[in-house]
Parts: sequence; structure tokens; C-alpha cells
Amino acid sequence: MKKIALVLVLFLSFATVAFASGNKESVSSKMKVGMVTDAGTIDDKSFNQGTWEGILKAGEDFGVTVKYLKPTGTTEADYLKEIGNLYDAGYKFIVTPGFKFETTIYQAQDKYKDAKFVLIDGTPHTPDYATFRAEKNVVSIFFAEHESGFLAGVATALQLKEGSVGFIGGMEIPPVQKFNWGFQQGIAYANSNKGTKVMLKSENVIYQGTFSEVAAGQQLAAQMFDKGVTAIFCAAGGVGVGAINEAKSRAAAGKNVWIVGVDVDQYADGVYEGGKSVILTSAMKKIGTAAYDMIDAELKGNFPGGETLVFNAVNDGVGLPVKNPNLSSDVIKTVDAVFAELKKGSIKVSDEQGNLIK
Amino acid sequence: MNSDKLRPLWVALISVLLGLIAGGILMAFTGNNPVEGYIYLFKGGLMSIERIGNTLATATALILTGLSVAFAFRTGLFNIGASGQMLMGGLCATALGLSLNLPKPVLLPIVLLAAIIGGGLWGLIPGLLKARFNVHEVVATIMMNWIAFWTVNYAVPSFFKGEYLETESRNIGVNASLRVEWLTKLFNGSYINLGIFLAILSIIVIAIILNRTVLGFQLKAVGFNKDSAKYAGMNVNRNIVLSMVIAGSLSGLAGATFYLGYASNIQIGVLPSQGFDGIAVALLGANSPYGALATAIFFGILHSGKGFMNAMTSIPPEIGDTIIAIIIYFAATSLLIHKFLDKIKAFIKGARKK
Amino acid sequence: MDYVIEMVNIRKEFPGIVANDDISINLRKGEVLALLGENGAGKSTLMSILFGLYTPDRGLIKVNGSVVNITNPNDASDLGIGMVHQHFKLVHNFTITENIILGMEPKGIKIDLTDARERIVELSKKYNLNVDPDAKIENVSVGMQQRVEILKMLYRNAEILIFDEPTAVLTPQEILELMKIMRNLIDEGKSIILITHKLKEIKQVADRCTVIRRGKVIDTVDVKTSSLEIMAEKMVGRKVTFSVEKGDGIPGNEILEISNLNVYNNRKVLGVKDFSLKIRSGEIVGIAGVDGNGQTELIEAITGLRDIHSGSIILNGQDISRLSIKERSNRGISHIPEDRHKHGLVLDYSLEENLILEQVESKKFSKNGFINKISMRDHANKIISDFDVRSGMGPLTIVRSMSGGNQQKAIVGREIFQNPDLLIAVQPTRGLDVGSIEYIHKRLVEQRDSGKAVLLVSLELDEILDLSDRIAVINSGELIGVVDGDKTNENEIGLMMAGISKGDKN
Repeated sequence: MKKIALVLVLFLSFATVAFASGNKESVSSKMKVGMVTDAGTIDDKSFNQGTWEGILKAGEDFGVTVKYLKPTGTTEADYLKEIGNLYDAGYKFIVTPGFKFETTIYQAQDKYKDAKFVLIDGTPHTPDYATFRAEKNVVSIFFAEHESGFLAGVATALQLKEGSVGFIGGMEIPPVQKFNWGFQQGIAYANSNKGTKVMLKSENVIYQGTFSEVAAGQQLAAQMFDKGVTAIFCAAGGVGVGAINEAKSRAAAGKNVWIVGVDVDQYADGVYEGGKSVILTSAMKKIGTAAYDMIDAELKGNFPGGETLVFNAVNDGVGLPVKNPNLSSDVIKTVDAVFAELKKGSIKVSDEQGNLIK
Repeated sequence: MNSDKLRPLWVALISVLLGLIAGGILMAFTGNNPVEGYIYLFKGGLMSIERIGNTLATATALILTGLSVAFAFRTGLFNIGASGQMLMGGLCATALGLSLNLPKPVLLPIVLLAAIIGGGLWGLIPGLLKARFNVHEVVATIMMNWIAFWTVNYAVPSFFKGEYLETESRNIGVNASLRVEWLTKLFNGSYINLGIFLAILSIIVIAIILNRTVLGFQLKAVGFNKDSAKYAGMNVNRNIVLSMVIAGSLSGLAGATFYLGYASNIQIGVLPSQGFDGIAVALLGANSPYGALATAIFFGILHSGKGFMNAMTSIPPEIGDTIIAIIIYFAATSLLIHKFLDKIKAFIKGARKK
Repeated sequence: MDYVIEMVNIRKEFPGIVANDDISINLRKGEVLALLGENGAGKSTLMSILFGLYTPDRGLIKVNGSVVNITNPNDASDLGIGMVHQHFKLVHNFTITENIILGMEPKGIKIDLTDARERIVELSKKYNLNVDPDAKIENVSVGMQQRVEILKMLYRNAEILIFDEPTAVLTPQEILELMKIMRNLIDEGKSIILITHKLKEIKQVADRCTVIRRGKVIDTVDVKTSSLEIMAEKMVGRKVTFSVEKGDGIPGNEILEISNLNVYNNRKVLGVKDFSLKIRSGEIVGIAGVDGNGQTELIEAITGLRDIHSGSIILNGQDISRLSIKERSNRGISHIPEDRHKHGLVLDYSLEENLILEQVESKKFSKNGFINKISMRDHANKIISDFDVRSGMGPLTIVRSMSGGNQQKAIVGREIFQNPDLLIAVQPTRGLDVGSIEYIHKRLVEQRDSGKAVLLVSLELDEILDLSDRIAVINSGELIGVVDGDKTNENEIGLMMAGISKGDKN
């Protein structure tokens, strides 16, 4: 016992000496920006990562201190606890990505009145949806996923010209559904206005049900490819990762298969041997830009508290990546033109199902 | 003798200490001061009345799953199924909580009973399989975990779907919630709820059953030595089934405290980690009810203090998780420490003789 | 060179116990050296060291005068040391030849057994073993299996043979055969170490005898010039009486009546066949038989641990053959089980808890489902003082830490305290020291004298002969015959144990 105690004492004293002069330079900066992650990791190639990249960029550009925390679970209590931890540690500008934070922020806005919150993809309300209320310290941000999906659909149809495409979604929730519906409208637009002959059969529109089952994604993609589908639009988190893996191994074997990415530019995730990528293009939601813009606004003193912002084609909040190595320059030109029309409002994309598939 | 009785305590303390040292080394590796890190970790769990409340709220389900595993251990069974039992308990409780419109004093006992029955059923099946067909309970309970997982995956979206969300049930009403205003206020708006009292009550009841009753005597006898229990005229199969049912009920109750207290709805696609952490709780608590209580509260501090540690230091959350996992892992190595103590004892004895 | 084996100052410690404390023994060429000691004295540990299963903490081993290092059984085998274990290590559906060459098969794709078979026949003739090389193990007797083990060693050119309790599984006649074989081996120049706690055998076959008690060598004596009593005294550490004092019993009415009982064993064949037996109050009925001839199945059927196939078991006029264990115990059956660790005790329970194991539900020890700790303690104290159960902490002692003798006394006390009509005692003295054996025998006779029926099962023929008023002999699950205890002898019982009933002789 004595030995153990001795070891411990030595260890602790070493530790204290070694770190007594700890680095606390960053504390001096004026603003501390915190983020609480949603289910999944910080490098989820999607929501968490997108948000965090925007915050990181703001950290570099404006010299603010940034930090993210990962809750132990996915309940309101878990989320609120991490917000409390950030708040107690002095992080009073807090970004929360995902609709799951809606009820949490509803409580946090009153509990931490001197903190500011950015809620992406959601708006604060009570658990029973009876009361919707955003105080002056909360900004809700939504995206026009259907417009992003529309552009991806047009680009895909133009590049492929003919053949069959598919869609794999994660959970059947509004943001994912809007991607799907927009994508379908984009294909249809290209078919009727640009002379392409691309099919999207209803059997090839599938919601897997989770954002995490990588293996299931791979299987679903394999089935679609076997049925002759050449490109799949995946709005499915980890499920999409599985689909990308399947596409990579087929592409490496010389097959003509593509994946359309989602949320962020997934080109790099689709790279297989030879430096080529299976990512045809990506239907982006510029989450990072949104987070970055809000921090910028706060620093400039015009934080749009209490408002609900929509990021869409008009304000460049959605769109395709700047670089699309897998699209021909003709296609890019045409898509840019379509994008311009979207901005003008001369093309309208519906965010409702109507008579679309699923 | 005294030293023998206190031994589990020593073993637990040494395990925790080793875990803290190992976690500290990891903190040092990531360039942080371990002492500072631990100060923030414990502050995060304890520094305000609200945080204490949240720590207890986090510990509540763990106390019950730990007790469930410990109880099963004591009767010779390895209950890996606490997660599934908890999920089923939660599902049954949530289902009734959402379906019945009754005043709180009537509804609460009903939903709690539903949770106990749901969890108990999930223990009953492996118990019967073991007693009838000698199917090992480890295999059976793991299977039951997944059956519970997929049952919830199916049942929640089909019958209790949230208004806008497929992935979780509607929120339960105030009358079915274990959260009560006076307690929430007392702890400054924390998530502590009546579950903590249920958990402590369960600890006491199980301790009495194990130590003072004929039932406990027989269940433990079966656990220690099935053959001699049979020889002594005890109904071994009945005891195995009963044991699993009780263990399942405790986990089911854990489900109620979690889904109706800590949370206010049930989500699909999650096998609650409390079920597995319960195994570590039981191990570190030397399978004693009071040991499980203390250990669960300790784990509660770790889980709820972690975020504050991350916020105050540059330890990334992933490393924070790893540190907690390491501490729990070391806690679960208490068997090794038992052996180590035996060796030391023998060594000291040998040295004295010379 | 006088000694083929010398073990010098061997010390071996296990956690909490010194199994061998500075033991030195030596074996001369061409002699039988007996290692005598009670269970747990350290004989088997010592031989395991010699055979390479354990390494000693201290001390050295010399073979033919030179120091050797034996780290595994192969080393021992290379040095010409072979061991016949108490439990044979044979493959049942292999032939004798195949078993003997197992582990040293001739090289090649197809194993050619012709040479091996020839050598086995030759060895068998030379040592008078009468082994049929082509018979399968499952079809030969236990005595024959033992000879196969001996042949196995000879086939591997063993010069020094260790026999570990070789007679435990044999009938008296087979024991005589074995003694002859051992003499043959000696005549052919082999040397033998015989591990045993049976004095008679030592007298019959051994030249010298080394007595071990509690890990220490007490003495080495010349067998011819030493009396049984002296050797026993050295083994136990005090004077020993061999015979049980017992007057004539006064049998009363029938307590147990077994009729045409058939019981399946674990291999799903009939282990007890058409067995009928009556036991009256005031008598001890002993069941004699070689191990594994249906005794276990018979007792389990009577106590309810095993379902019966057909027949009836009547206790005090009522058929109990379908009742639960608990019911039977309530109706007056007490059972001292064969294996006290497996069945008799919960080793991790305290002594007082063990003493109420079967009765915890009774009103005496519980109320409303709660255990009455006071009456539990009283009960324990009574048994402890009445049966002289010694332990570190009295009623609170964890039974695992008690000695075998005291564990057994506790069980005997517990069963007798239930005041049964029928007391079943299976191997009640197995592995106990002579003192405990005397004590338990006395208590069994006392039960008989107080009008109980006692059913005694033992593999020790002496125990059966000493205690029983009547002896029922069982072979292959069948009752061979019942004889009066005072009108029979070892020879007669031995023949019956081998399956030859009294009628067959004439």
C-alpha cells in the first residue's frame, strides 16, 4: 500500500511541476465560441464537422477561442448539461447543430440569458410543440435543402445524359426528405428542358432508417448498382459512407458508378486508387458558412437575435462545390445558369412532396 | 477477519486509484495537467447544487442496472441483458404513460409497474431458457438486448411517433414524469427526479432480500453451488428463473427512471450504455448492493463532470471519454487486484517466517 | 550405485500451505517402497514433482546417482520413470494396442501396428499380464485397464514405476492379482513406489515404507519387522483402534422397502436393474461394490436427486418414489452425500448457514420469509459442541476454510440432528484421518442403536464389514446377494462384488 501511495505522490508532484506553467494565452481573446455536437463524432463528414469547420475558420480569422463538447447521450438533459459546462467555462456564444437541440435551446435561452445561441436546422419550442419562442439571444437557421438537391439533380442528369439513378436517405425527416424531393425535381427539369433521359424509379428511393449503419449503406448501394443504377444521391450520414465504399470498390474495378454527396463537399471521401473520386458532385448546405457568419455578426454587433434565417440559393447558403472535377465544363456552365435562375426566382423548387416519390 | 471484510473496499479503492493514474497519464500525454484535469472533473460533478442533482440523475439508472447485474452475479448468473431489460422497461412505461390519461398519483405507480414487468419479462425469457434448456444466460441475454432494440425501433415509430420525428416517441406528459417540481427546484433546475429514491429503496430491499430472507439464502446457495442447493431440496430451476426476473425488473425500473425521469421520451436506435456500465458498477461494487450504490454515484460524477473538464482544459472530448473508459476499465480489473493482494499477503507471511 | 531414485530436501509450497517440507526419500533398485500417509499429507505432491508435473521450490532429485532436472512428464519418461495414475488415461474406443502406442506412433502416413502389437504380446507374456492387444478398452474390466496402464509404462522402457492409490478401484481379487504383478515386475529388475493409505497392502507387497505426515517425513521403516499398529500410529500421530465397538442390533419394523427398482444412469442405460432391498429400523445395511456399479444411481433414486424408471420406493409404508427431494427429506430421509464439496456444502457459506441448508424454510429457522438468525446460531452451536466440529470462528467460519474432517463432521451432525428415520451415509469417511473415521463410525452405530435405519454405501470393504449388520452386494446395478455382516468374510464379498453370486459357487 505504501509503495502505491508513494508512486502516486511522486506522479502527482511531477505532474504539478510539469504543468504549473500551463499555457493560457488564448484566454485573453475577447470572445469564446462553444459548440455541442449532435449524435455522432466531430469528424462525421456532415453536420458536426461542417459546423465545426466554420467555427474553426472564424477562430482563425477573428482570433476567438473555440471549443466543442460531446454529450454522453442524446437526451435533452445530456445536451443541456454540456451547454451548462460551456457556459460555466466562459463560452457564452454557443452553436448547436441539429433539430434535436430545439427543446434544449428553448430552456437554455432563459436559463443562460447572457449567452447567445445559434440553432441550426431547428427553432426553439416546448417538447409538446405547443409553444414556439425564440428569445433575443437565439438565432434559428434553416436551409433550402430542396434547392441544393435540385441543383445536384440537374448536374447529375446533365453529366449522365441517360440511364438510371437512385436515392438513399438516412432517417425520413424533413431535411432529408427535402433533399430527395429537390433531387427528383432537378432530374425532371433536366429531362424536360435539357433533353436528358435519366430515370429515377420509385424502387430506387430508399430511406435506410438510421444515419449510422455503414454496412447497410454498402448493401443498399450494391443492390442498386446491380439493378443498373449508375449514380446514387446519398443524404444519409454513415449510411452514405457505406455507399461510397461500395462505389469505390466498383469504380476501382472499372465500373461506371457515381455517388452524389451531401451537406459538405465529399469529393475527397470518394477518392480511390489513381486519384479519381466517385463523387460526381455534392448537394451542399453551407453549415460552416452559417456558423461563421453568425460569429462575424456577433463581433460586428449585429447578431440577428430572435430571428429565423433561411440559407438558400439567393444568399449562397446552398449550392454545389466550387470545384467539380467530375463534371464537364459544359455541364458546369449549364448548372451555373440554372443556379442564376434559381437566384432570380425564375425557377421555383417545391419543398413539399406533392406527387413525388416518397 | 476484519481485514477480509473490508477487502472489497480496499480493492475498489486501489482499482479506482489505478484508473485515475492511468487516466492522468493520458491527460499528461495530451499536454494537460492531470491534477487540474481531475479538479475540474470533480468540480464538474459536484461544484453546485444543480450539478450534484445532475450527477445523481446520471447515477440513478446506473444504480439500478448495477444492482441488477450484482444481484444476478450473487445468484450465479451473468446478466449482460441489463440494456435490453432497461429498454423494454422504458418502452412499457412510456407506452402506458402516453396512452393513459390519469392523475399523477395513479399514473406513476402504473407506469413504474409496467417498467418492472417489461424488464422482468426480458429477464424471465433467458431465465426459462437456462432452466429448461440449459441455454447459457450470457448468450440469451445478449440476444434479448437486440430483440429489445429492434422492438423499440419498430414500436416507437409505429405507435408512439413524435409529431415531427420518426426517431423518438412523443414526449410524456407531466403526470407520467418522474420529475417533480419541488425536487427540480431544490436542485436548481437539474434533472434529478423521483428515480433516485426508487433506486435507493431498491438497494435497501435487495440488500435485505440477500442478507436476511429465506429467498435470498436459497438464491445465493444456488449461485454458489447448484448441486448442493439441489441436494438440500431447493428448487434450482425456479430459483434461476426468479433470479433473472428480479434482475430484469431492476433493469426495467432503471428504464423507467431514465426514460421518464432523466429523459422524457424514448429514442430508437440506442441501446442504453447504462446496461453495460452496470456490469462495471457491479464488479467495482463487489456485487454488494451498497457497493453498487457508491460506485454508481462515482460513475455519475465522472460522466457528468467530464464535460466541464473538457470545457476548462484543452483535453478533447474524445480523450475525455477515453479517460472515463480507462477509469471504468481499471475498476473492472478488481479481480486482478484481488490476486495481487493475495500475493502480497503470501509474501509478507513468508517474510515474517524468515 | 545403491539408489535408483533419491529425492533430497524437497520443499514445495502452495499458497497458504507447505505441501512438502524438506522431504527426502530414496528408492533402492528392485524394491517396493510404500509412501504411507493420510489424504493431504503430501504424497501425491511429492510424486507429481518426481514425475515433472510440479517443480520443487527447493531440493534436488537424483536418478541413478546423478542430479537431474525434471520439468515435464516427458523428461521423467526419458529417465525411465513411469506413473500409473489413480484415474486411468485411456481412450475408450481405441484398442489396447492403439492406447499403448498413443503419443509415440511410428512415423509415416499409415500407422503400422504390427511391430507394436508384437512387442506388446511379448511384454504381456514376460510379466504375466494376460492382455489381449486387440480388445477395445470399453470392453475390458477395470483391472485389465490398469494392466494396460502398466504395459504402457513398460512399453516406454520404464525402470521406475509409480503407482498412485492403485487399489481404490479394484475388487479384493483384482488387488491380489495386482500384488502378484508387482512382484513379477520386481523380479524382472524394476523398482516401484506405491502410494497408499492402506496398511494391509503395504504389509502384503512393500519392502520398506516411508511415512509422511503433514508434509514431513516421519520415518522410514522396514515393513517385515514393523507391525500394522506402529505404522498406523506413525501415520496418524497417535494410537489407533482398528475395530468398531458395536453390540448386536435389535432390528424393528421395516423403514425402507425398495422393490424392482430400475434407474437410468447418465449414459442413458440402466444403472440400477430390478433392485429390491428392505431396511429395518435398528440396523445398518451396507452396500458393497466396486466403484461405478450403480451405487450412486441407487442412492440418488432414493433421495430424489434422480428420477426412477420403474419400481417403487416405500418409506414407512408410503410410496415416495415420485416425491421431491424436499418432500422426502421432510418425511424422514437424511443423506450424508458422497461428495461433500459438490453436494454436501456450500463452501462459501458460513458454517451456521450450511447447518440449516435443508431446513431454512422450516418454521424453526424462519418466519414470514425472514431467517431467524438467533435460532440459526443456537442450532449451529449445538451441532458444533455435540459433534466436536472445530473451526476458526465457530458458527461464522466460512466452510471452505475448514479441514475435510471437520466439514464432514458438520455434515454428519446436520443430518443426524434432523432426527431421520432413515440415515443414508455414502462414503462417510472418505479422505478423513483415522481419528475422524473412528468418531463418525461411532455416531453411525449410535444411530442404529437408537432405532434408526442406516444405509451405508462405501468403497472401503473394511468399513462395510466393520459396521454393517447386513451387507447387500451390488454389481452392474444388480443385487448379487445379501449376507449377514458377522457370517461373511472379505473373500466371499469380493467374489460377489465381481458378480459371482453365492449360488454360482456351488
